[in-house]
Amino acid sequence: MSKQVLISIGREFGSGGHLIGEILSKKLDLPLYDNNLLREITTKKNLDHAELERYDELPKLPFFSRTIRGFSNSPEENIANLQFEYIKTLAGSGESFIIVGRCGEAVLKDFDCLISIFINADLEAKVDKISKEHNLSRTEAELMIKQRNSARKAYHNYYCTDKWGDSRHYDISLNSTRLGIEGSAELLEAYIRARMALM
Amino acid sequence: MEYMAQIIAGLIFIVMFGLIITEKIERHITTLMCGAFTLVVVFGICMRSASAIWKTLNFGSIFKLGFWYGAEESSSAGINWATIIFIAGMMVMVEGMAAAGFFRWLCMKIASLVHYKTMHIFVTFMLMSAFLSMFIDSITVIMFLAAATVELAQMLKFNPVPMILSEIFCANLGGSATMCGDPPNIIIGTSLGYSFADFISNTGIAAAISLVFSVLFFYFSYRRELVSDGGVYTGKLPDPKDAIKDKRSFTVSTVIFLCAVVLLVTHAQTGLSVATIGVFTAAATLAAAGKRIPYILKKVDYKTLLFFIGLFVVVGGLEETGALEVISYFIGKISNGNRYLMFGIIIWISAFASAFVDNIPFAATMLPVIKSLSAAQGVDLSSLAWALSIGTDIGGSATPIGASANVVGTSVAARGGYPISWARYCKRSVPATVIVLVISTVYIFVRYL
Repeated sequence: MSKQVLISIGREFGSGGHLIGEILSKKLDLPLYDNNLLREITTKKNLDHAELERYDELPKLPFFSRTIRGFSNSPEENIANLQFEYIKTLAGSGESFIIVGRCGEAVLKDFDCLISIFINADLEAKVDKISKEHNLSRTEAELMIKQRNSARKAYHNYYCTDKWGDSRHYDISLNSTRLGIEGSAELLEAYIRARMALM
Repeated sequence: MEYMAQIIAGLIFIVMFGLIITEKIERHITTLMCGAFTLVVVFGICMRSASAIWKTLNFGSIFKLGFWYGAEESSSAGINWATIIFIAGMMVMVEGMAAAGFFRWLCMKIASLVHYKTMHIFVTFMLMSAFLSMFIDSITVIMFLAAATVELAQMLKFNPVPMILSEIFCANLGGSATMCGDPPNIIIGTSLGYSFADFISNTGIAAAISLVFSVLFFYFSYRRELVSDGGVYTGKLPDPKDAIKDKRSFTVSTVIFLCAVVLLVTHAQTGLSVATIGVFTAAATLAAAGKRIPYILKKVDYKTLLFFIGLFVVVGGLEETGALEVISYFIGKISNGNRYLMFGIIIWISAFASAFVDNIPFAATMLPVIKSLSAAQGVDLSSLAWALSIGTDIGGSATPIGASANVVGTSVAARGGYPISWARYCKRSVPATVIVLVISTVYIFVRYL
């Protein structure tokens, strides 16, 4: 790929956003970064991955955190910033990639080649997917979805001015239930290729 | 209307504390807003007292000779300008030292002097942390010490977390030893007219005894964790000289630092107030900085200075309305004349509170309380001041949010890829805090009661 393209995918838990990212990664031949981003950082810096993974994409605990002169004791916040810096460095090096979550659309907003996407889905579809994947009852799946989305929202909204999932702040916001995972990925591929042609 | 003023002053204080804890608004904006409310609503509307506003703003004190020269420090209520000017001056000096590479040079020099042996670095860095924090704010000390520790850990293949936790604890302990080591001490010292020598001969002795026990405690707690993982560093070890960015600035900033130490140690004899020493160190640093003046001034933490100004106004509101006398009356009633119980309450309540909330507003609030307690119960004010100082300074070591050094140290570790959870932090720091508090309580009981 000659021109740089950066694709950020925000997603609701259970919406299939990550799967769509994987399909787009194959179709567009772009590396996909999600929780493997932290793996790459820890390998490069020779750090304990398991120790850092505990805090990946989690909101900081408000009453257990303090900030002094820009320094925060929150492991969650520091790990998030570590990843944001790494994402910016990667993008700054000219690499094209897809980033799932991790406030990608906000971290990379200064790059003209950014295409920001948000994937949501109907509650019913999310419950079906999660209950099958995690072998949970309907009630358990609903609770898990609620908790994870609440954490993602808190994580995102702490670091970003724009609100998580607000369609006004993404280039395209899509309900994956309407076209299914494959169909959604195809539509997004067409959109991305159209955008790239204009870059 | 008098009760109304007390209630509103109390409410403003509670809202301020709540906002500081939640961090929804930057803390200097919080205190300034609450300070403005205190001036307008409490003094202006409820008390209709222009003199209370003037007294709390305390501008008049700056123009008195005693503010700059003389053994007595400002003892009036309201904004403690001596504290603010001194902290601002020290900030300028420290930025000058940092810009010249002083702190990194010192860390690397000590590491090289002990031949980069992990356990030797561990012990010497703890002692250096305590010593430097006696004169320089612990945030700066820990910022550089923790960064150097992470760098050395990556080279020498050891886990830097135990070392950083021990350094943080010793920085807080060192800060408790002197008048200029920790903001609560600066507030206590300047408000009550105590000298550097007063602190060193009272809280300093408690800190020295505690430091011995703390170093031993951390040594035996962490010695197994600090064993190198077997990997051998084959690269070039850092040369301390490489840390020096500019030889002239380095020499000048070191001389200014040593002069500041001498002036602080002897200020009771020379009659120079800490405000004068702050102005002198800042002026000397800026005079020597040349082209780097804008850089140094830009690095000064103005937000902290504004935070102090707002805080002093809010606490001044509590003091002027007499709201804090309720707390001192309450402590007096509980202790029922038992001085051991009274001192125990001051030390342990201060320590417990400081473990969870910022110890600066806590100390600023408790200061009028101990003044009132001393007057009402006939207890020696200086003894209560040492108890308050020890409680607030040491209690802050217990949790990752108890003191500024803890926040900065854990943050530097996490940025280096070594996150520190609450459980990890508290596992050793809580017992160490309890040990030091027990030692300090016994010390205060034996020496002052």
